[in-house]
Amino acid sequence: MRHSLRSALYVIIGTGWAASVAIGGWRLWGFESTAGIPARPQPMWPADSKLARNIAIPSLVLLIHPHCPCSRATIGELARLMADVHEKLTATVAVLCPAAAAEGWEQTDLWHSAAAIPGVIVVADIDGRESGRFGAATSGQTFLYAADGRLLFQGGITESRGHSGDNAGRSAILSLVLGLSSAPPGQPLHSPVYGCPLFDDSTACERGDTPCPR
Amino acid sequence: MSQVTSNPQALDPTRGLATELYETHQQSIYRRTDRIFAMLMAIQWVFGIVAAIFISPRTWVGLTSHTHPHVWAAVFLGLAINVLPIFLALVHPGKTITRFVISVTQMLWSALLIHLTGGRIETHFHVFGSLAFLAFYRDWRVLIPATVVVAGDHLLRGLYFPQSVYGVLTPNSWRWLEHAGWVIFEDIFLIASCLRGQQEMRQIAQRAADLNTAKEAAEAATRAKSEFLANM
Repeated sequence: MRHSLRSALYVIIGTGWAASVAIGGWRLWGFESTAGIPARPQPMWPADSKLARNIAIPSLVLLIHPHCPCSRATIGELARLMADVHEKLTATVAVLCPAAAAEGWEQTDLWHSAAAIPGVIVVADIDGRESGRFGAATSGQTFLYAADGRLLFQGGITESRGHSGDNAGRSAILSLVLGLSSAPPGQPLHSPVYGCPLFDDSTACERGDTPCPR
Repeated sequence: MSQVTSNPQALDPTRGLATELYETHQQSIYRRTDRIFAMLMAIQWVFGIVAAIFISPRTWVGLTSHTHPHVWAAVFLGLAINVLPIFLALVHPGKTITRFVISVTQMLWSALLIHLTGGRIETHFHVFGSLAFLAFYRDWRVLIPATVVVAGDHLLRGLYFPQSVYGVLTPNSWRWLEHAGWVIFEDIFLIASCLRGQQEMRQIAQRAADLNTAKEAAEAATRAKSEFLANM
């Protein structure tokens, strides 16, 4: 009797342990695999953008939040991508710099890591104007434009939030740049973007990124 | 006569002692390794929290920030993972269930650390290091639950969320076997090592039993000799 009670107690403890670990793992998984706010991409390179576009080779634009830890993986994937394309692509990383931010707020390790990648230009995205022009709402949002200014790809280049490794976005960009695949006119390739929201709820609502609360 | 042939101990009087010595040695290895793993679990928990605080302390929305979910995951999920194996290692050291729970838990730690470090390829080596560490038990069965956890994780995620494990949306449906295959590759060597370790432990136990029997025989002979001389 005592033995069966002890066995039942251990079964309950074991089940409770497995359930608590499963719930915790599921919540972590949910956080990491939930995509950010999708972009409202421009089918052609925005005419009012101050970013330089190369008219001979494709141009990549990556918009990041300088303090978003998830974007560290994105910068790592960009470095791998740039190593693979061998000067067949120009890349600009626009680092968010809100007008209300303190001086140097945007000069983080992400800025310096991006600047250290050969072929990458890093600029401050003052008050998120370039994010607005390109239609980005989530840190890590990447756009690839053809030499003629046509949008070829939009989305993220990580497999989940802050998780480095092979991913569909980087593969798509690589195959587009190397000419192994093509995007039909008006139908750019896309992948989910994972990262911190670039703007708070009220700003995102004003910009039309998210529905405004009633 | 038939009684003698059916009882192996009657054939080899040291076998019973050898088995006893072998089991004692085996238990001491199980208990010691359980204690080491209990300490390792605690160290991994602290390491996970430090890694989360260092790598992703806060998550941001515009100009505002709050504690990153990875920090909470390291603290609470890490604690939840550790509770049962540490409890079993302290309360039931040497039991089979303790080793099996530790085996599963160690792979859960691999998964959590991989997530906390942003999927760094280097952290994936924790899986292989852990398998080698589990082989310290010299019980090849312990490697099975760990392998099942790794293979099951890859199979399920490959089926339902392939991008998270293979980086592509439409991987080959058998690719999970490639990943699990490398784990099994290491398992083969570790299982062979465990079996050899057990064999050597049996040989050591047999030698110790033989020595003990010889020592007792020598002592008995010495006593008999002393008694004989005393009675002369």
